[in-house]
Amino acid sequence: MKTIKNTLYFVLCTVVLIALGSCEPRALTEEDVFFTEDQVAELTSDGQIYHLNDFLDQFMTEQGNFASDTCPYRERSYDATHELYLYSVDTIPTNGPGVYIRGRITTDDYSGNFYKAMVIQEVVNGVQQNLRISVDLGSSHGLYQMGQEIIIRCNGLAVGRYANQPQLCIPSYNNNIYAMNANQKVGWCPGRIQASVFRRATHLIGKPDRSQLKYDEYTLSDLYRDIDLKPALTEAGMDAVRKADGRLIIIRNVHFTGEFDNNGTLAKCDTLHPDSSSNANVFAPTTDNIGYPQSRVLQDNMSNKIMCSSSEYSKFAHFYLPGADRHGVTDCPNWTGSVTGILGWYLDKASTLASNKLTGYEWSVTPRGIPGIGISDIEMYNDHDDPWIPTEYDPRKQ
Amino acid sequence: MLLSLMLCVSAFAQTTLRGKVVDAGTNTPVVGATVLLGNQNVATTTNAEGEFQLLYLDATDEEVIVEAEGYVGTIELVLLEENKTVEMPAIQLAPDIAKQTQDEILLNLTEEEMNDDEGRSQSQASASSATTDVFNSTTSFAWSTARYRNRGYASTAETYYIEGLPFNSSERGQFNYSAMGGLNDASRYKDVINPMEATSFTFGGLGQATNYLMGASRYAQGWKVGVAGTNRNYKARVNATYASGTMANGWSVIAQLAYRFSPYVDNKGIIGEGIKYYSLGYFVSAEKAWSNGNRLRFLTFGAPTERGQNAAVTQEVYDLTGSINYNPYWGYQDGKVRNSRIVKSFDPTFIAAFDLKIDEHQKMKFALGYHYSMYSNSAVNFYNAPDPRPDYYRNLPSFYWDGQIANPNNETSAGQLFDENGAHYPWGLFIGEDMNGKSLGTGVIADDGYLIGPSIDPAQYNNLVNLWKNRDNTTTQINWDNLYAANYANNANDPNAPARYFVERRHNDIQESMATINYQNTKYDHLKMTAALEAKVSQGIHYKTMDDLLGANQWIDIDAFAERDIKELASNTGFTQEYIAQIVQNDLYHPNRVIRQGDRFGYDYRINMNHLKAWFQNEWTFHEVDLYYGLSLEYNSMQRTSRMFNGRQAYLATLAYRRGTMWKYLGDDTDQYSSPKSTYYDRTHHFVDPAIKFGATYKINGRNRVKLNAMAMTSAPYARDAYISQRVHGRVVDNIYVHDTARTIAEFYSSSEKVASADLTYEFNYPIVRGRVTGFFTQSWNGTELNGYYDDESRTFVNQALTGIDKRYMGIEAAIAVKLGTYFTLTGAASVGDYRYTSDAMAVSSAENGMPMTQNMVTKELIYETRDKVLLNGLKLATGPQANASLKLSFFHPKMWFADVTVSYHDWNYLSVAPSRRMQGLYTGERTDGTNVNGWFGDSYANAIETTDGQALRVSIDPETQMAVYENAVLDANGVPVLKYPYNLMTMQESLVATNPLNRFLIDASIGKLIYLKNRQSVSINLSVTNLTNNTHFKTGGYQQARLPRAVRQGQKDYENSVITANAWKYPSKYYYAWGANFFLSVTYKF
Repeated sequence: MKTIKNTLYFVLCTVVLIALGSCEPRALTEEDVFFTEDQVAELTSDGQIYHLNDFLDQFMTEQGNFASDTCPYRERSYDATHELYLYSVDTIPTNGPGVYIRGRITTDDYSGNFYKAMVIQEVVNGVQQNLRISVDLGSSHGLYQMGQEIIIRCNGLAVGRYANQPQLCIPSYNNNIYAMNANQKVGWCPGRIQASVFRRATHLIGKPDRSQLKYDEYTLSDLYRDIDLKPALTEAGMDAVRKADGRLIIIRNVHFTGEFDNNGTLAKCDTLHPDSSSNANVFAPTTDNIGYPQSRVLQDNMSNKIMCSSSEYSKFAHFYLPGADRHGVTDCPNWTGSVTGILGWYLDKASTLASNKLTGYEWSVTPRGIPGIGISDIEMYNDHDDPWIPTEYDPRKQ
Repeated sequence: MLLSLMLCVSAFAQTTLRGKVVDAGTNTPVVGATVLLGNQNVATTTNAEGEFQLLYLDATDEEVIVEAEGYVGTIELVLLEENKTVEMPAIQLAPDIAKQTQDEILLNLTEEEMNDDEGRSQSQASASSATTDVFNSTTSFAWSTARYRNRGYASTAETYYIEGLPFNSSERGQFNYSAMGGLNDASRYKDVINPMEATSFTFGGLGQATNYLMGASRYAQGWKVGVAGTNRNYKARVNATYASGTMANGWSVIAQLAYRFSPYVDNKGIIGEGIKYYSLGYFVSAEKAWSNGNRLRFLTFGAPTERGQNAAVTQEVYDLTGSINYNPYWGYQDGKVRNSRIVKSFDPTFIAAFDLKIDEHQKMKFALGYHYSMYSNSAVNFYNAPDPRPDYYRNLPSFYWDGQIANPNNETSAGQLFDENGAHYPWGLFIGEDMNGKSLGTGVIADDGYLIGPSIDPAQYNNLVNLWKNRDNTTTQINWDNLYAANYANNANDPNAPARYFVERRHNDIQESMATINYQNTKYDHLKMTAALEAKVSQGIHYKTMDDLLGANQWIDIDAFAERDIKELASNTGFTQEYIAQIVQNDLYHPNRVIRQGDRFGYDYRINMNHLKAWFQNEWTFHEVDLYYGLSLEYNSMQRTSRMFNGRQAYLATLAYRRGTMWKYLGDDTDQYSSPKSTYYDRTHHFVDPAIKFGATYKINGRNRVKLNAMAMTSAPYARDAYISQRVHGRVVDNIYVHDTARTIAEFYSSSEKVASADLTYEFNYPIVRGRVTGFFTQSWNGTELNGYYDDESRTFVNQALTGIDKRYMGIEAAIAVKLGTYFTLTGAASVGDYRYTSDAMAVSSAENGMPMTQNMVTKELIYETRDKVLLNGLKLATGPQANASLKLSFFHPKMWFADVTVSYHDWNYLSVAPSRRMQGLYTGERTDGTNVNGWFGDSYANAIETTDGQALRVSIDPETQMAVYENAVLDANGVPVLKYPYNLMTMQESLVATNPLNRFLIDASIGKLIYLKNRQSVSINLSVTNLTNNTHFKTGGYQQARLPRAVRQGQKDYENSVITANAWKYPSKYYYAWGANFFLSVTYKF
């Protein structure tokens, strides 16, 4: 009897201990992980939320505050003739009042056409304001989805321009000795915010809502009434360009011409293997790992042109342009429609400014994807109203 | 050690010694105690009643040395008279409560070492030790902290039996300690045999052989309950054991329950940081003994366990966090600690054994067993989302160094940063001037104490440093909030999208059915014959299940990494996105299957293994010499079957078919994949391996003896090493023959490892001093290993099968125990060895996702498998410290006080090298298969190979030997080119030994008291403190990361564009440290 009692007592104790030990954290709910406006207010009580353009005006200077004579900005970034900097870095004080910006993410890096970069949009009085963010985060769309509103504490970060494109960033010294023309690119420039630093600085406000994104719709003619094809080479002229950069736009009634920007002149694409020809009639054939965005010409029926910019690392890089195939690009004009994407003005050689040789091809629209590959940003139809179905270069069919 | 001697039968009167061994407190019989006569060198063991009898003795003064597992040994003096029987009074043994505690700690230690998905341990101490062997009893616990391995052998060399049944896994070769987690009583009684020695329960192998004896009759009648507290991974333990003793009907029963537990403790920097631990062990055994000597046993045990894990991390992380206990696997969820890596294990085991005593000279043992080992480990997986690991290399301050470390050879970039004394800062060569020759100024001392170059922004750097130093939760731990948020955001955008993050559970189960028949015959004078047959049918069962969707709606069953890697490589392969969508499928007959909580996905395959072993052994025992020899023949087979047909396999099948080549994973049976089936069968592979061993003991006199043991054997590769990518397909390593292609014996054995081993021992045994010295030498040839790693050159996960590995183990082990007066014993032990590779290996590397590894630069043909030598020759084996010594002072007072202090010193401990960093092609630019290496040490960009007198490097490969011929290169002692600093850091074998010699010492101590109460009750209290001085500089293991720092050379085609950069600190090694001071306090009440 005593034995039985002892046994029962031990078993009972064991069961109690097991029960005590089985405490697990509860599953998190949506309310746990998304900020409310009340939480935003609490977070930002130590400082101020800036509108994006105000943020640029407040913190981004022409020359930047970071580099020094001994440790200068990236080479070929300064146009002494017009006293303009294509590259700059301004650090935001770590201490002091909180500096916050908020915006809704307009980009998606699933297709790979955006890489370790995102753009946020803030609509102020019905007008888009945008800012690029450079962050060392691959597949960022997994956490920072298109349509997600975020708030960022910018203290300790920096704002600067990379090839004249403003962005939230950190100072980074480019020393890529394996780059083409490496000695012309060495120096300080905006760099990617380290991933864990960015995650710590950022909070998600509510769930993503893509319907809240504002798209500015244009024809090319309208667009060029809104932006300067060849801006004035002054701080004011550049400022207008910089504020337009990053805008989420839809361009209507355009078609691909089957051409590409060949250093300021346009040339016809070829039908060679995209691995061997950087002029192949696909969105982004190889640059042999130099990595510059590949441009393909979009045109309207008024012969206005803008570049469609794609990365050779995107998943749709080897997809034929609408109307192109292994035989060539002759059918391109028959496919017209709209292209959605991020408006950009990219120039990384100050000598172009110094010699006043802007071509207008500095403007581009960068799609976030194509039908079937990420965000469907290119929508085109032929004369029979058949929708464009992307096809990929297939070496087995050559 | 059991040692039964067969004496000549005589009809005459004889000199005889009889006695009984009992527990000093309870007077219960001690079963299985060894009784040895020191002068005459004869021994026996006690029976179930604790009795012993020795016959045909010489009439003389004699020392009766009595030892038993779990007891303090004793020596009694007796006078043996001619032709008389001496009846000794009961010999009382005091329970060794310190040893019992140590055994329990050891059992837990070995269990926790089973730390990765495949159940492979980084290092493993031996939880079993021969009590009567001075060396083993001294070192098994004291050296376990340093992860000492007996003679440097892998844990697979040690063979484990339970009641005579083989319990080493057929698939992995190891014994799974978690099966007996916390069951210190179940594992108390065992026979442990030193390497190669003769024993009746097994033919044995290279290492020690252990046979756990779990018959209920071994346990004294009564209850035992205990509680224990510790600051190790689990914090407390309660246990209770009841043993009936042998009842009147011949039955005896024992049952034990042991519960070990620790909830999550929210305290950073403690041992077991972020780890929870729950384990409930049970053990039930019933035994029936008949008067004719026959015995029947049934037993079952298991220990359902759930425990968190920790990870090896880089030294930078340890330094930043200021703790060797930092664990990146956990994070806060809802304010509570949650570990992402939770092991669940449960090994229910059932055994029936029958001992048949045919007559006085013949007995047979039969045993049947069934064992189902359920082992699974969870991990966070991610898809199209950022890497969630907090210690991912890009999240560390050192990532800021990338691109800022100057290439010492590249003068256009190479301003070199000098410290105040004009010397290179030892942590690196930061650029001090830009590539146009402009000085950038001087560096600064950052908050982590490193001198960083002027091209690094100290504000950004220090910000990150301080987040780590302050253990910022979102920086240094898993951010569960982010993982949930990603999924909830994903749901909002597309309710049907696959999860971004989820916790998967990787199951590596194995079920085994086994049987043995063991026959022993002592009919002939001086001769003991043993013959045995053992059979085992095993099935490894491998699959994944969805553990937690973390708020996501579902997962889609594709290979996330295959998709990512293939798409990155698509431009090289010519794949279309449509084709890729097929390849990434995990089951082509169920494409895009929706996976929800608990569903099985990813892979689902079995490894069916059959094992049959027959062996016999003859042992002759004479007055001056003992001899033995044994022969063994072993058959093994393995076959992979799969319940899924994945896209990578299909793709590779297509390739093989196109080329008309018979790839081994497909053979001629590709039709089976043409339609959906419940199971797809790969080929069966058969292996037959013989072994022979022999030995002799020369007894100089009763107190001194010399022993020689020798063995030669072949052994088949384990299944875990045989398949190069078993999650995907059934392709085996190159040297395993396919059954219809083996035409010669040599070909048949081309995959078997060949081993020869011998040892020579001198033993002495005096009343005051005893000990032994052993020299050993073992050479193995043609070993096989499998590695997996992320390869930067081909930008995908690569499996690397290594064959033709030769190893040598040689050394000396010695121990001595000296009695110092009545209460003290001083024991010393030392082991000095040289365990190293004695050959290079051949490696076949292939991408797990089936993508090409490289391209023929002339023909543009894509190459899916590369072959190259791995320069291992001369490197040390990473099997624990190779030089060890310890001194132990033990105290035992007859009033049952116990205490001991052990000081141990460990040296010559090496980190395992990553074979991928030692590929010959990295030194020559060309693999042995003729393909070019994309970025190698000697190319004009790295220019890292030291040359003689500044001459240009010239290398070539001898077409016959495939050995590289280096001209003008400076070679090291192993013939490998010496690399310039800092490239040499990438390939050198690291020492794990602390720089300060004082930090190579570990001190352990314990104290205990046994209190006898009325009515045969007792209470024992023991406190054991390990690493008493809190040495936090003692590395026990780790690994060199496989990845090399690389950069892409712009303007070059793929396969020609990679450069090894000078940033040797980008992927540094990861380490495990020995715990700091830790204790184990136990109180046990017996009644």
